Amino acid sequence: MTLKNYLFCLLALLCQSLCAQIKDTIILKEVVVSDSSLLRNNKSQSILVLNDSIIIKNQPTLTSLLNYNSVLYFKEYGRGMLATVSFRGTTSSQTAVIWNGINVNSQLTGNADFNTFTTLDFNTISIKSGGGSVSYGSGAIGGTVHLVNNLVFKNNFENDLRLDYGSYNTQGINYKALVSNKKWSSQFGFSRNSSTNDYEYLGLFTWKGIQRKNENGQYATTNVSANLGYKINDNSIVTFYSQTSNTDRNLSLITESDSKTKYINSFSRNLLEYSQTKQRFNSNYKLAYITEKYQYYDDIALSKFSFGQSESLIAKMDLGYQVLKSIRLNGILDYNKTKGFGSSFGDNTRHIGAFALKAVEKVNANWENELGFRKEVSSDYDSPFLFSLGSTYSFSSFYTVKANLSRNFRIPTFNDLYWQPGGNPNLKPESSHQIEIGNIFTYKHFTIKESVYFIKIKDLIRWVPGQGNNWSPENTNRVETYGSETILSWFANFGKNKLFINGTYAYTISNNLETAKQLFFVPFHKATAAISYSFNQFSVNCQQLYNGFVYTRSDNDPNEIINAYWVSNIGIDYDFRCTKSFKLGFQVLNLWNKKYQSLENRPLPGRNFNMYLILKF
Amino acid sequence: MKFSKLFLVALVSSLVFVSCTDNGTDSVDAGDYNNGVLVLNEGSSGQGSVSYVSDDLTTIVQDAYTTANPADLLGKYVQNIFFDGNKAFIIAGGSNKITVVDRNTFKIIGKIETGLKNPRYGVVSNGKAYVTNANTYAAWPVTAGDAGNTDDYIAVINLATYTVDSKIQLNATANRIVTANGKLYVTEPYNNDKLVVVNPTTSAIENINIGSDADSMEEKDGVLYILRSPFGVASEIVKVKLADASLTKIAFPSDLKGVKNLDIEQNKIYYTKGTSVYGMSISASEASFVPILTYSSTSAYGKMYGFAVKNNRIYIGDGGDFTANSKAYVYSLTGTLEKEFTVGVGPNGFYFN
Repeated sequence: MTLKNYLFCLLALLCQSLCAQIKDTIILKEVVVSDSSLLRNNKSQSILVLNDSIIIKNQPTLTSLLNYNSVLYFKEYGRGMLATVSFRGTTSSQTAVIWNGINVNSQLTGNADFNTFTTLDFNTISIKSGGGSVSYGSGAIGGTVHLVNNLVFKNNFENDLRLDYGSYNTQGINYKALVSNKKWSSQFGFSRNSSTNDYEYLGLFTWKGIQRKNENGQYATTNVSANLGYKINDNSIVTFYSQTSNTDRNLSLITESDSKTKYINSFSRNLLEYSQTKQRFNSNYKLAYITEKYQYYDDIALSKFSFGQSESLIAKMDLGYQVLKSIRLNGILDYNKTKGFGSSFGDNTRHIGAFALKAVEKVNANWENELGFRKEVSSDYDSPFLFSLGSTYSFSSFYTVKANLSRNFRIPTFNDLYWQPGGNPNLKPESSHQIEIGNIFTYKHFTIKESVYFIKIKDLIRWVPGQGNNWSPENTNRVETYGSETILSWFANFGKNKLFINGTYAYTISNNLETAKQLFFVPFHKATAAISYSFNQFSVNCQQLYNGFVYTRSDNDPNEIINAYWVSNIGIDYDFRCTKSFKLGFQVLNLWNKKYQSLENRPLPGRNFNMYLILKF
Repeated sequence: MKFSKLFLVALVSSLVFVSCTDNGTDSVDAGDYNNGVLVLNEGSSGQGSVSYVSDDLTTIVQDAYTTANPADLLGKYVQNIFFDGNKAFIIAGGSNKITVVDRNTFKIIGKIETGLKNPRYGVVSNGKAYVTNANTYAAWPVTAGDAGNTDDYIAVINLATYTVDSKIQLNATANRIVTANGKLYVTEPYNNDKLVVVNPTTSAIENINIGSDADSMEEKDGVLYILRSPFGVASEIVKVKLADASLTKIAFPSDLKGVKNLDIEQNKIYYTKGTSVYGMSISASEASFVPILTYSSTSAYGKMYGFAVKNNRIYIGDGGDFTANSKAYVYSLTGTLEKEFTVGVGPNGFYFN
């Protein structure tokens, strides 16, 4: 990556920067970001960047980080269990998780289970609101979540170790070694987070009066990662990212006599990338191999399990040319071969080829336009012509306006197409047309971003009861979702006192056009707030999450809802500075001991505690 | 926890609860669920429930169980209710349990939570309850000899202690069960082409070949009437004379395929196809193909999800989309709609108090 690209990055980050902390990373020009086009090519949309200083203040699951710091809404089948997202009122398979630039949503289910990702394995986690299928493919309708490892080229040797111990025998070991010089950069990581997870259900008793608790909810998530970069010369760089992950969970019971079941997810993600820049040309080649596997035990006492597995090979070529000083064009070719097999859908292979063209026009220092097209050809389905059209204009350093119009899609999954019995090989992709307008106001260290959007989705894939006893997926509903997102941040420095305040609020209407009802499990309101204050080596932070009620039934029965909840966490830590950093911290989660749940009969824990030690040496 | 301690906890908390609930609403008095019809709602993502409608069709309680026992969960996929005197046993297949309630007040009396695995239907005979258990299911694609197709059993339940005393292994799949002449008769439509006959005192098992896809059945005057609906061909009723196990059949007209819900009432056999209800004399040798009534349903899978004929009325439960509360309908025997009311998710059966 060249200086020019860095400047792009820098500018993009400056425009986008939400949290002033980001500047710390920007100044390091030796940072290589795997998904650099995220910030370079998507200026017409809102991107929220969470860097490591925010990540470490949160619990290590991606669910928890995003729940408390973004507009994303989650439903969790108990603490640490399967967690699915709704972003801008869309379904769980309409938000894509992007690992170092590669879409890693499940090929089998279409969605991502956010409790299988450990945040501490990454350096930054960004949330891009709105359509992104031109760049990121299937599932980028509500938005995308980007998990990024940054490689740093400077003389450095550092070990980061974090140890956690908390209620319900919750334990965490997260370790990262960073070894680099001006030519090489490497990052090795290991993390394991586990819990017996036998928390009491607040205020719930069996009919005999015995306190109920979370049974069969134990989990363990283990990750090993290695990321390497080598600067061949000033113009070219080769990087390699690799992660292996295993999440072994028993599934919480609803009532004590339910059958005990267990679910094991394993993932392996590998990406080799080569970038080169020569005068007006730049090129980027990616080769990725991604596998996922699940094993489901419908009775933990038996060794019998069902399984599903997919293996994807992805090759991507991105050639860029600076046509004029103001216009850059990128042509992208990619190819994806996925093999899916498992106990319920035999053995199937899918090929997808795609061509995309993107243009960025920088009219002047304040005005920039983006245009993108993508067309896929697939062996399995007819793919719509996708596009994205955006513009950003800064009236002054105080006010910027952005607009984006796009068409996006979500392709049918292996389960949808091939599940036996029931799979429907004639499905079309779900597709959306969407528009959004964003306003950004910045004054000194205060930023407020306000976006309004409108999304029309058709051909929603839904499993409905079909012939005989089999459920079968069909392209059924049309949905209209619209709403607003507000994100604000403030940063203040008074001598040694530092104060950060971040807040988000989302108002969402998600309307099934056939029934004119709100989609179930989409809240009208969600808000978060995080405040952190530090003085010298001492810091304290507080998080608030308000989740409005959701309907649990398609007919919006007012008696069948999940009540609104407001949950608070508080944490303090002190850096003894015996080494580079030697922090000891203590957190109280669900401070007010609120009884709450995000899914019916799936209570979440009451007040609980966590302590941690962060060592950098 | 020691039993004595447990008992103490139970006693103390029941006192606490009693004193709490007494302050509650007075919507339903004890015994308010007599003289009426119980509608069992299977549930889907949520728990199952029981709705109540009085015989005069004026009082409707949508969730009688939770109304009577606010803090308790009835379980997932409630499949069947059977009765022993004034007690109702509600089988929750997805939660491996049976909840015992007073059939008139719906207050909980006990729970059977061990010894059951995917329980389906139950009957009471000679002072004991017999409940079919599907146990494990065969994995798809089914391979010959998969234990899932041979491990089904009948749980024998002690009605005084609410415990499973023993299990009768069937070496077959099991679903519906009826009792007559001191014997148990079991059908299962997907993986069994036999009627399984069990002598509960000796646990001896006999199999009678009746053909595949046998589901609903009823005994009347020493004859067991079993409805079979093999895919793609006309359905039929197999009559098994219990005295000598001899078989006779009533063939249906060729366009009556996929017939469900056999129910005998006042010497008439009722059955359904799609959204239509048919009836024929029990002595007829040919089945009627003229519907008594046809109701309208938008449900893809849940048409006639629950069905019963009793006390000169026809009861229909419509499955709807299984993600919202659904509807039940009450018709006269001549097909006049008397009442339509909202029940829970997936109404799959009617029981009469």
